[in-house]
Amino acid sequence: MNKKIFILGGGQSALYAAREIRKNNIDVEITILGEEKFIPYERPPLSKDFLLDKRIDEDLYFCSKETLEEEKINYLNTIIIKVDFENNILVSEDNKQYTYDTLLISTGSKNRKLNINSEVDDEIFYLRNLEEAKNIKEKALGKKNILIIGGGFIGLEIASSFSQLNKNISLVEVGNQLMGRIIPNQIADLVKQFHEEEGNKIILNKTISEITKINEKYKILLSDNTEIMSDLIIAGIGSTPNVGLFENTKLKLDNGIVTNEFCETNIKNVFASGDVSNFYHPLYTKYMRLESYQHAQNHGLCAGKNISGIKTEYSSIPWMWSDQFNLNLQLTGICDDYDEIVERGKRIDDGIIYFFLKNKKIKGACGLGIAGKVGRDIRITSKLTEKNTIVDSSLLSDQSQKLNKLIQK
Amino acid sequence: MADENWIEVGSTDSIEEEDLIRFDHQDKTFCVYRLTDGFYATDGICTHEAVHLEDGLVMDDEIECPMHQGIFNIKSGEALSPPACDDLKTYPVKVDNDKIFIKIN
Ligand SMILES: Cc1cc2nc3c(=O)[nH]c(=O)nc-3n(C[C@H](O)[C@H](O)[C@H](O)COP(=O)(O)OP(=O)(O)OC[C@H]3O[C@@H](n4cnc5c(N)ncnc54)[C@H](O)[C@@H]3O)c2cc1C
Ligand code: FES
Repeated sequence: MNKKIFILGGGQSALYAAREIRKNNIDVEITILGEEKFIPYERPPLSKDFLLDKRIDEDLYFCSKETLEEEKINYLNTIIIKVDFENNILVSEDNKQYTYDTLLISTGSKNRKLNINSEVDDEIFYLRNLEEAKNIKEKALGKKNILIIGGGFIGLEIASSFSQLNKNISLVEVGNQLMGRIIPNQIADLVKQFHEEEGNKIILNKTISEITKINEKYKILLSDNTEIMSDLIIAGIGSTPNVGLFENTKLKLDNGIVTNEFCETNIKNVFASGDVSNFYHPLYTKYMRLESYQHAQNHGLCAGKNISGIKTEYSSIPWMWSDQFNLNLQLTGICDDYDEIVERGKRIDDGIIYFFLKNKKIKGACGLGIAGKVGRDIRITSKLTEKNTIVDSSLLSDQSQKLNKLIQK
Repeated sequence: MADENWIEVGSTDSIEEEDLIRFDHQDKTFCVYRLTDGFYATDGICTHEAVHLEDGLVMDDEIECPMHQGIFNIKSGEALSPPACDDLKTYPVKVDNDKIFIKIN
């Protein structure tokens, strides 16, 4: 009998794992169980090109249904409500049971929700999936004033998209800078300035005290008693790993599913990858949970290899991007443990990067530039971090010198 | 007649090894690369979003897009890594008297 491999969760990490497993094994049965009615698709465009009508549903799929059929990867649209780790059984909402030999959990993350008052809570929109993106797009038609709660990447990207569609945007953020503390405040300030120049109103250090619905509009009272009127409210206040199903099971949880560097959980033959996993990173020698496109892909590929019996350590240097207007922000490595900061560049047009070094080695970097201007240097930085290379900070800060020469072959 | 399609890009020493330059001709943008075994040319704009590949990183036979790290094979134009999925157009290149020419049509 063929070995049965089930992947719980039908997103990016699931798909890359499935295709990798198929690449290495012809005989196994591979089934992805996903609660969305769409086969795996890219989420980044949902807050950007999809809202702007530059891309439609069909452009978002990682691969076609035909490719999945050719590679004999089943996609079952179903919601799993229970996992019985003792007997290797998954139970779906419609009461079907699936018995696995190996299980990969890639259930991603889910949006945090606001609790303001019951009259309006259900009318606040959130963005995580295609259905919600379609809904927001439809609701925004004909509306002029949009309030965005939360100044993280997704909130800012939605602000950028709707601003390009000539809406009036107010964005309220509780913190004293945009995008949280993982982004250097110099870059956060530049992003704020850019949004403001494009007409978006950015309000920091404020919370929402009250929302009242008046006819079809909302009156929002902020913590400093100022009022904003809005036709539509969208919140992007962060996300949490999608682990509700595993509470009170023997699966080890701690800010997600705890996995080692081989994507293995504490249960034999159960793996986890992508947003949901709090994994051990051997280069940083600590556990981390990442929510990014590159991580979902590479972690899925790594889980696929390990499930196929090819023991592979996951040591990818974290990398993510955010596109707002024609700005491209990129973050690589980890920027919270450093003894030196080096700045490269002064103008967004040429790209500005902040490098975070410890003992003369780059631990992380964050850059901002007009489309693509920081990409090459950020990529080189990831390689230098990976190789633990000692770097000369005077070269890093001199934009007239290419960083290519720092990469040892 | 055929020779008319060869457009001069510049001198061979205008590109460092394992690097590229951008070349604009009429309303189109190209990238011309110097790899260890010769010169190559592709369209200058990523097939994923409209971003200039001139700011990308050349590694062996590959160009990596500076925006979202989509990767293309420089010689065949094949899209090798998402989010890029459409191939990049490639163009013939010749070197004559230390000058690089690309054939656009
Ligand atoms: C709007 C948006 C924009 C983004 N933009 C960027 C960007 O610009 N750059 C970047 O680097 N990253 C970006 N990201 C992050 C990136 O898309 C995610 O990190 C990535 O999708 C994570 O992949 P995953 O496979 O781990 O989880 P997901 O893609 O979230 O997939 C998990 C899937 O599992 C399903 N599922 C969960 N529980 C069950 C269950 N019990 N039964 C069945 N199915 C279940 C979910 O419905 C979902 O379809 C963005 C994310 C969003 C939402
Ligand atoms: S623009 Fe090139 S990969 Fe996205």
